Amino acid sequence: MKISKLWLDKFFSAPLPEASILADALTFHAFEIDGIEKAGDDEVLDVKVTPNRGHDALSHRGIAKELSAILKLPLTNDPLAAHPVLAPVTTEVTVDLQRTVLCKRYIAGYIKGIKVGPSPEWLRARLEAVGQRSINNIVDATNFVMFNTGQPLHAFDAGKLGSLSLGVRAAQDGEVMVALDKKSYTLKKSMMVITAGDASVGIAGVKGGMPAAIDESTKDIIIESANFDGVSVRKTAAALKLRTDASTRFEQVISPELASYGMQSAVELIQKLAGGELAGFVDAYPEPQKPMYASVTVEKVNQVLGASLTGADIADVFVRLGLPYKEESGVFEVSVPFERLDLMIAEDLVEEVARIIGYEKISAVPLPAFDKQPEINKNFAAAESLREELIKQGYSEVCTSIFADKGERMVLNKVDSVRPYLRSSLVPGLAEALAKNKPNKDLLGLKEIKLFEIGTVWSAGTEIIMLGTVTEKEKASEKIFAPANAGNYGELPVSTAARFEHFSKYPYIVRDIAVWAVGDTDAEKIIREQAGPLAVKISLFDRFEKGEKISLAYRIVFQSFDRTLTEVEVNEIMEKVSVELTKQGFEIR
Amino acid sequence: MDMPPDAQFGHLHPISSLIREANQIFLRMGFTLAEGPLLESEWYNFDALNVPKDHPSRDMQDTFFVKDMPEHVLRTHTSPVQVRYMESQIKKGAEPPYRVIVPGKIFRNEATDITHEAEFFQIEGLVVEQTATLSTLKGTLSVFLAGIMGGEAEVRFRPSFFPFTEPSLEVDMRLTGQSAPEKLRDKWIEMGGAGMVHPNVLKNAGVDPKKYRGFAFGVGLDRLAMLKWGIDDVRYMHSADLRFINQF
Repeated sequence: MKISKLWLDKFFSAPLPEASILADALTFHAFEIDGIEKAGDDEVLDVKVTPNRGHDALSHRGIAKELSAILKLPLTNDPLAAHPVLAPVTTEVTVDLQRTVLCKRYIAGYIKGIKVGPSPEWLRARLEAVGQRSINNIVDATNFVMFNTGQPLHAFDAGKLGSLSLGVRAAQDGEVMVALDKKSYTLKKSMMVITAGDASVGIAGVKGGMPAAIDESTKDIIIESANFDGVSVRKTAAALKLRTDASTRFEQVISPELASYGMQSAVELIQKLAGGELAGFVDAYPEPQKPMYASVTVEKVNQVLGASLTGADIADVFVRLGLPYKEESGVFEVSVPFERLDLMIAEDLVEEVARIIGYEKISAVPLPAFDKQPEINKNFAAAESLREELIKQGYSEVCTSIFADKGERMVLNKVDSVRPYLRSSLVPGLAEALAKNKPNKDLLGLKEIKLFEIGTVWSAGTEIIMLGTVTEKEKASEKIFAPANAGNYGELPVSTAARFEHFSKYPYIVRDIAVWAVGDTDAEKIIREQAGPLAVKISLFDRFEKGEKISLAYRIVFQSFDRTLTEVEVNEIMEKVSVELTKQGFEIR
Repeated sequence: MDMPPDAQFGHLHPISSLIREANQIFLRMGFTLAEGPLLESEWYNFDALNVPKDHPSRDMQDTFFVKDMPEHVLRTHTSPVQVRYMESQIKKGAEPPYRVIVPGKIFRNEATDITHEAEFFQIEGLVVEQTATLSTLKGTLSVFLAGIMGGEAEVRFRPSFFPFTEPSLEVDMRLTGQSAPEKLRDKWIEMGGAGMVHPNVLKNAGVDPKKYRGFAFGVGLDRLAMLKWGIDDVRYMHSADLRFINQF
C-alpha cells in the first residue's frame, strides 16, 4: 500500500522525520517496507500491511497511528477521535438490507446542489502520490477519505438513480452490469448488488455502476458508506477478476463502526470542495458492533517474551497505542478500539507490547538442557546409512521432481500445466537423470555414472518412499525403502564444499596424451601451463611401468564459458602442449 | 590404475547434507526428527494450524489440489507435522516437553525461475515446554544458523503475521567472525519465519494451552544452501546434474 509522507504529516502537529526513518520505525515495529519512492517534493512508502492488520491499517490514519506509538509522537489530528453524529436524518432516501448477514451496515448521505469540477491542487497531489488519477472533486473526495481512513465510499448521481429506495440484495444469475470501468460484468447469485428501486446500480463492495456515474451535469448525490462481508467481496472480486481498492479493504474485514466516520469525513470534504446542501442521512445498522475486551497479565507477557518488564512498561505501550485499559494487581484489561478487530486474546496483547518495545530488547538465551532422550527416527536413520553405503559404492544422490507425465494421481491446478501427475515410480526420473549426466562423464572425471534417489511416490493408492538406483550398466530400478532399527545416527560426514562454482553450459572437447616419464619433471604442470584456462580438467587416467620406464596418460577436458570450442583451436593447443613436452625431454607415446 | 580416490565415491545431495548437519546440531539440543506425508489433508495443512477457511492462501493459485482427493493438498509447509507429532505424543500419553525438527519437501503452485520452485525444502522447528520464550527462540535459531553457516550468528526479529503463531516474526541473521563466509559477513539476511505457537494450534493437537506454550520456526533449506554455497539458481536442486551435486 502506498503511503505519502506529506499526507502522514497532516496527522501530527509538526512534520515527521524523513521517510527512511519512518521506514525503519515501521520495519522493526509494525510492517515490512517494500520501497521508498520520490514523488515531487513528497516521498512515498510502499507498506506491506500484514493480513491481521488489514482491519485497521490499510489507510494513512492507520499508519500514522502506528508511527505515533512507535515514535512517541501524539496523533493531534485523528479522524477517528470523535464519534460522529449523523444528523439530520432524511426521509427522502430509504435503505432496505435484505441480506444483513452480508451487509452489516449501510449509510446513505444525500447532498443536493453540488457543483462538479476539478479538484484543488492539494487533493490532486495527494491522490497522485499514491498512484491515483484525479477524476473530479466528488470522486476524488470519496477516494481521499478511503485512503485517509480505510473506509471505502461510493458516490452516485442521485438524479440518474431513478429511485431513492436503495437496497442490498443478491444478484440474479446472469444479470449483466456495466461498471464504472465501462466493462460489462455477468453476475451470479452469490454476489451482492446495490439497488435503486428495481435497478442494480453497483457491485457491492467492489465497484459502482456506470448508469449512475458522477459527471459535469450531476447536481444531487448519494454517498454510500457501507460495510460488506469480507469473504463475499473477496469471492466476487476474484470471480469477476475485478480487485479494487474498495474490495481489498472489505476483504480484510473492517469494522462497521468505521462507516460513520468515513461518511462524516466525506460529507465535510465534499461540501468544502463542491458546495451543496446536506439533505441528511439514512443509517441501516441492525446489529451494532459490541464492545471488545482483551486482557493480559504482566506475568504472561514476561513468560512469553522471556523478559522482565514491569506493569509501567506495559502501560506505556498501551498508552502509546491508544488502547484504553484498567489495571488491577498485574492484570491489564484493555478496552479494544472498534477498528482493532485483531486484538482478541492475551497473546495478541503480548505481541503489541513486544513489537512496540522492540524485539531487539529480547536477548538470545540458549535452550536449557533437555531432560528427555531424543528419539531416533527410524526412517531417517535408515536413509542416512543407505546414503553412506551407496556413496561409498560410487553412487551420487539426486533429487528429481515428484511431478510426472503419468501417474495414479493428478494435480488439478498446476500453473505451468506440464507434468501434471504425481509420480508413481522413481524409475523414469532416474533414467532421465542418467541420460542427462552421461555426456558429462569426462568433465566429471567419472568412469561410470551411478545415481540414487530416496524419494516419495504415489503408487497402489498410497504415498510411499522408494529407493531407486541407476548406473550405465544397470537399468533404473527401485524398491520399497524400509526403516531400520538404529540406536543412533552415527557421526556422518557433511559437505565440506566452500562455494559453488559455475560450470559452462557449452559442450566440451576431450584429448588424451601419454608420455614416458622423465625423472622428477612434472608433466602435468607443463600440460597445465601450455593448455591454458580452456583446459578445465586435467587428470592422470592411466599409469603403468614397463621395465625402467613409466607411462603416464593424461586426459584433458577443454571447455569455454562463453562459446562452443572448435576442433581446430583445441588441436592448436594440443600441438603447443606436445611441442613443450618434447622440448622438456618427454617422449610422447 | 591410479585414480584420484574421490572419483570413486559418490556425492551427497547438498540438501541432504544440510539436513544431516541440521539434525546433528539439533540432536545436541535434544530435538527429535519427525516426518509427515507430502499429500496432506486440509485439516493438518490449514485448519489445525488456525488458517481460517476463507484465507486467501487456500485459493487455487497457491496450493496444489489433487484430483479425486477432496480436502487434500500437496503440503504448503512442514508445519502440519507439528500437529501430527504433538497428537501422536498425546496419544501415547507423553505430555510435553517436546522438541522436534521437521525437514522435508513442500510445494507452492507457481511458475519456476531462478528464485522460485514449485517444490522445495524447508526445516521446521517446534519446542513445547515452559522454557519456550521469544528469548530461547532467538537463542535456538542463533545456535542453528551459526552451526550451519559458520561464524557467530546474530538473530534479529521483525514483526510479521502467520495464522499459526502469535506473536509472529520474520527472522534475519547476521554472521560475524573470521569463519563466517566472506560474502555474507556483517550483513543482515532474511532467513525465515517464526513465532510463539498460537494457543489454537496447541488446542487442536490436544495440548492444553493453559499449561504449555511453544515456539516454532521455519527456514527454507534451498535458500540456506544458496546462501551457504553461493548458488544462484534454485532449480539446480532438482536438476539431478552431477556437475552441481558433485561439487558438494
